[in-house]
Amino acid sequence: MKTKNASARRENDGYLFIIPAFIYMLVVLGYPLVYNLILSFKNVDVKNLTKGGSVFIGFENYINLFHDSTFLLVLRNTFIFTIACLVFQFTIGFAFAMFFNQKFKLSGPIRGMILVSYMMPMSVTGLLGKNIFSNAGLINDLLGKIGIQGPEWLVTGSTALIAVVIMNCWVGIPFNMLLLMSGLTSISQDVYESASIDGANWGQKFLHITLPLMRGSIMAVLMLGFIYTFRAFDLMYIMTAGGPLNATDVLGTYSYVRSFTQFKFSEGAAVAMVLFACLFIIGLFYLRMLAKEDD
Amino acid sequence: MKKQLTLAIAAAAASVSFSAVAVQAEPTEIELWHYFDASADAKAIVDWVEEYNTLQDDIHITATYVSRDELMNQYTVGALSGELPDIGMVDSPDMASYISLGVFEDITDELEAWGELGSFYEGPLSSCMDPDGRIYGLPQNSNCLALACNLDALEAAGYDHMPTSLAELQEMAAATTDPDTQTFGFAMCCISTEEGTFQILPWLRGTQDGAEAVNVDNLTADSAVKGLTALADMINNGYMSKECINWTQADAFNQFAAGKAAMAEVGTWHLAQTDAIDGFNYGFCLLPTGDEGTSSSTIGGENFGVCSGAENKEACVAFLEWLCSQEKEGEWGVTAGKIPTRSDSTSEYDYEQEGFAVFTDEMNYAYARGPHAEWPSISEAIYSATQSVFVDGVAPADALAKAMETISPIVEETPLP
Repeated sequence: MKTKNASARRENDGYLFIIPAFIYMLVVLGYPLVYNLILSFKNVDVKNLTKGGSVFIGFENYINLFHDSTFLLVLRNTFIFTIACLVFQFTIGFAFAMFFNQKFKLSGPIRGMILVSYMMPMSVTGLLGKNIFSNAGLINDLLGKIGIQGPEWLVTGSTALIAVVIMNCWVGIPFNMLLLMSGLTSISQDVYESASIDGANWGQKFLHITLPLMRGSIMAVLMLGFIYTFRAFDLMYIMTAGGPLNATDVLGTYSYVRSFTQFKFSEGAAVAMVLFACLFIIGLFYLRMLAKEDD
Repeated sequence: MKKQLTLAIAAAAASVSFSAVAVQAEPTEIELWHYFDASADAKAIVDWVEEYNTLQDDIHITATYVSRDELMNQYTVGALSGELPDIGMVDSPDMASYISLGVFEDITDELEAWGELGSFYEGPLSSCMDPDGRIYGLPQNSNCLALACNLDALEAAGYDHMPTSLAELQEMAAATTDPDTQTFGFAMCCISTEEGTFQILPWLRGTQDGAEAVNVDNLTADSAVKGLTALADMINNGYMSKECINWTQADAFNQFAAGKAAMAEVGTWHLAQTDAIDGFNYGFCLLPTGDEGTSSSTIGGENFGVCSGAENKEACVAFLEWLCSQEKEGEWGVTAGKIPTRSDSTSEYDYEQEGFAVFTDEMNYAYARGPHAEWPSISEAIYSATQSVFVDGVAPADALAKAMETISPIVEETPLP
């Protein structure tokens, strides 16, 4: 009986330790989230933000959003941009990680140079992208040298989206490479040596050793990559201002423009809540997967 | 004895200095936020604030640069949190929205007591007012748009003058376009921001076939459709780069300065940047947006307002009155390449005098944007319509009709002045 009481007290003491983190989460995350949620159910705009008179309008902002062709385009852009970036930056990042995991001369300096793009501020990357994808920019100049007439990258919707995906991958590849390399270095060389003795070829080692042992790292990289990419903002804002005709607008830029340029605060809040909901679902999925792994 | 005397003198000196400190009151601290980032005006605002601080002892101004986008965000957030500077700068078409958001303080009574409001041009001053005519700030500088021409390129194409009508502009743009060197006849900014609307509007508000120019509440009028059609034709014929949909005004001017565009729609402030022009003869003329000899343009400029909650409203107003005085308005125009907002101020430009004369004349044909609290929504409808014509090939009449679907309900609820 005494042991049971002591155990319960220890458990209660444990709760005390999470109070600071709980308060932090409540203030820094909880308050803005609840405020934003309430805002999204009201009709707050330039006329009533400070003067009062805003009312609850239920799900009207959300209903309007899902009937708005521009928002649907923005939602589509966000998913296409995120998935395309994830596929390319993960695949190329993994290939680089495998490559630089080999011990060869100049591996370190070259790896360092690749990381430069990751360290550059996104606004600078956006300006670079605007210049190199202009009609007379570097990309079209290089294409011209091999006899190919380059497209008007930032003028046509589909190519503009490709251009921002390329620029985002330019930043994302080193990030993926860095995280995956740390996963690769944690795999003992003994395992590979044993497999070699058993006669496994490169492909078999990759499929049956590297991939399974890297599962945790891969999921973490994909999850972080999804979250970072899904809420992209500054690259589009600088490179294309979301244009042409919303072709590169994503949820982040669309929410910002609704709230801070058009002063339609409740509409902007509703867009932000959609963004949050998407990331929340992905986060839950990740947590569930981690819990399964722990079991 | 000597020691006692020394102590007495020291004590007397200390008491005198103490009383001096006690008598001299601390100056009132005023925080001013601005987004001047061109070399000329960014330096000028710092110099002027220093000058004001040395001219008197009662008020001490601290000028802080905040990027334009960030400053606008701060105003919006500050409208709720109350974290605002004492004096804030704002782009003239945005001021109505920020007045509506409660960012600026009503200073009508103080300014009326000043007695100089009658000297300000009506357009710029109206951008500082709410729909009831109450005043929340002062217009500090004005600008407008005109046409910059590469005279060498025009001469090579057989023209000894600059265009005087929209038809002639199109003709000259065709003659000066050279696809081999990727040189275009005309450049302008049509980006999907307020900058784009600023440059697009003159073409929608031109006088066509003798018809009256229209305001943004009637963009389905023939004159507006013809103006947009003329721009679309230049895009479709390759006289103007489609990339204009991503160009800022600085980008469009840079195209002209680098010799990549024979003509460009430029702002008054570009006169202070003509040293960037790459070795060719250039000139400025009225923006030929319609019939022979007619022109239309857009008024731009910056206002300064006293922010809500400013503890020393009187001190803030006193600084604004000095900043926008007859003498300082004239000085600012010369220093920053802008046009005074007061009819009694004269800027004696010591550079690009002919160019300034053109822009000063152009002000007679320049229209203000709004003022309207929902101008950003009107603006979005205008640049989106233009981009849909340039990018998707939508017919100008259809694009403008779609824009009016957004604009009409807004102006029906609160009409334009």
